[in-house]
Amino acid sequence: MTISILFGTETGNAEMLAEDIAAALEDDHETRIANLQDTGAEDLRAADLSIIVCSSYGDGELPASAQPFADLLRAEQPDLAGVQFAIFGLGDTEYAETFGHGSMKLAELLTERGATPVGERLVHDAAGGDLPEDIAVPWATAILAGRATA
Amino acid sequence: MNAKIAIVGAGPSGCYTAQALLKCAPGLEVDVIDAQPTPFGLVRYGVAADHQGTKGVARQFARIFTRQGARFLGNLSIGDETTVEDLRQAYDAVVFAAGMSGDRRLGIPGDDLAGVIGSGALTRALYEHPDAGPFPVLGDTPVIIGTGNVAIDILRLLAKTPEELRGSDLGPGPSAWLAAQRFRKITVVGRSSAASARFSPVMIKELADLATVDLSVVFPDPDGASVLNTAVTSTSGPLPVEFRFESRPAALEKTGGGLHLQVETPQGRDTIAASSVISAIGFTSKGTLDRDAILRAADEPDGARGRVYATGWFRNGPVGAIPQCREEAQALAQRILSELQPDPDRVGRQLFAQHPDIVDFDHWQQIDAQEVAAAPADRCRQKISRREELLRPSNLQDA
Repeated sequence: MTISILFGTETGNAEMLAEDIAAALEDDHETRIANLQDTGAEDLRAADLSIIVCSSYGDGELPASAQPFADLLRAEQPDLAGVQFAIFGLGDTEYAETFGHGSMKLAELLTERGATPVGERLVHDAAGGDLPEDIAVPWATAILAGRATA
Repeated sequence: MNAKIAIVGAGPSGCYTAQALLKCAPGLEVDVIDAQPTPFGLVRYGVAADHQGTKGVARQFARIFTRQGARFLGNLSIGDETTVEDLRQAYDAVVFAAGMSGDRRLGIPGDDLAGVIGSGALTRALYEHPDAGPFPVLGDTPVIIGTGNVAIDILRLLAKTPEELRGSDLGPGPSAWLAAQRFRKITVVGRSSAASARFSPVMIKELADLATVDLSVVFPDPDGASVLNTAVTSTSGPLPVEFRFESRPAALEKTGGGLHLQVETPQGRDTIAASSVISAIGFTSKGTLDRDAILRAADEPDGARGRVYATGWFRNGPVGAIPQCREEAQALAQRILSELQPDPDRVGRQLFAQHPDIVDFDHWQQIDAQEVAAAPADRCRQKISRREELLRPSNLQDA
């Protein structure tokens, strides 16, 4: 299966997590990793599954590198029917009101364009004690296992 | 490419530069030098103790040393024993990312009076920096000058209850000091208007969530729905916190009862009584590096010697947060790679063969593990604060 691992980041933490997910999947799948700012609709269509890692920034906004992608979805309104995506968020419950809003907003934009969410959106909490890769890697593996048996 | 690059400063700008360089050219020898025995600069000693999420970038930075092959040369001060010129002879490129650690003075009459405290001096004490001085006496009505994020960090820490500091890495000494404070009122004074103040709105929302504060504003934003105006309505704690915008500090005087801050406002001169004044109006370059000379050298190509670059606060002054450091460092790395002319005769880190006190990244990892293991139940870490102990912790195994 061809898997695109895409990241929307502001400080690089989501990029690092995307690299960890790619490293965990690359033995069994054809993976490519890309910044959302370099990603277009055709890239989503080219993959069997897009796994997106997206942080939140400021007051629950999209991180800088996800913004051009979001702008593109809004401006060009591409038809993403047939595109499957799973999304993992990075957040901080110190800012409870907007926890995980970056990944939530991105998921909404993709769904509006007809893309199909796969699995549950999980958000890592930077204020908690877990390492993001300890949650995200099993999450990604479980989603792939679910697809394989479906 | 097998070139040798020295980066002076292991804070966010230096680490992001090393990360970007090694991502593009994994064969580079990148040495990240810091005057402190510990890496990560302001992530450890400037990001507030209760903003642990922001400190999460340290995990990325650690990988630069554990996976990407950069070397950490800690406890190595540039400028005295080793000069900038020495570095230029030994490395193909030298990047200065040394930040700014001096407190910018208010520049008004009386700014050197006892009771006037720089924000850096205060945060170094709060965050247990090895060069920290003793805790200041703030009294019951401190005035914070400045409306940037540093000012708001200090205000928030002063106003938090011990319960609200759970999960932070604030040490036992600073925690006890904060718990012993008895403020009647905290005033925040800034030249800018409420609408153009530098603080981020998220920082104000965070303030509004505190149990103790009762916010009020002099010269408020005319937009009644602004984050600060909303916070004024939503807070009603026992501690009055007054923001006074459009108030330019003009002079400080000491009288029997304490300090008096004169401010110029749109409605004329006003006087604010202060038990102490914390100036949080920015930073200057301080220490053993001649910043002006280095910035001049950074603009002069010189094929005979390693090329000099500067980035982050050291280059731009104290503006921009971690994301801006990253963006600038990534662009700088591209520029360095396009300009590098490696000379295999350069000695690189051999320059420091005679420095026995340099500590490496393994040393830091042992300190890190020890600090995390020593954390009490309501803290995520207990920092080692004394330089001697950071250099020779009792139960470390390396020399």
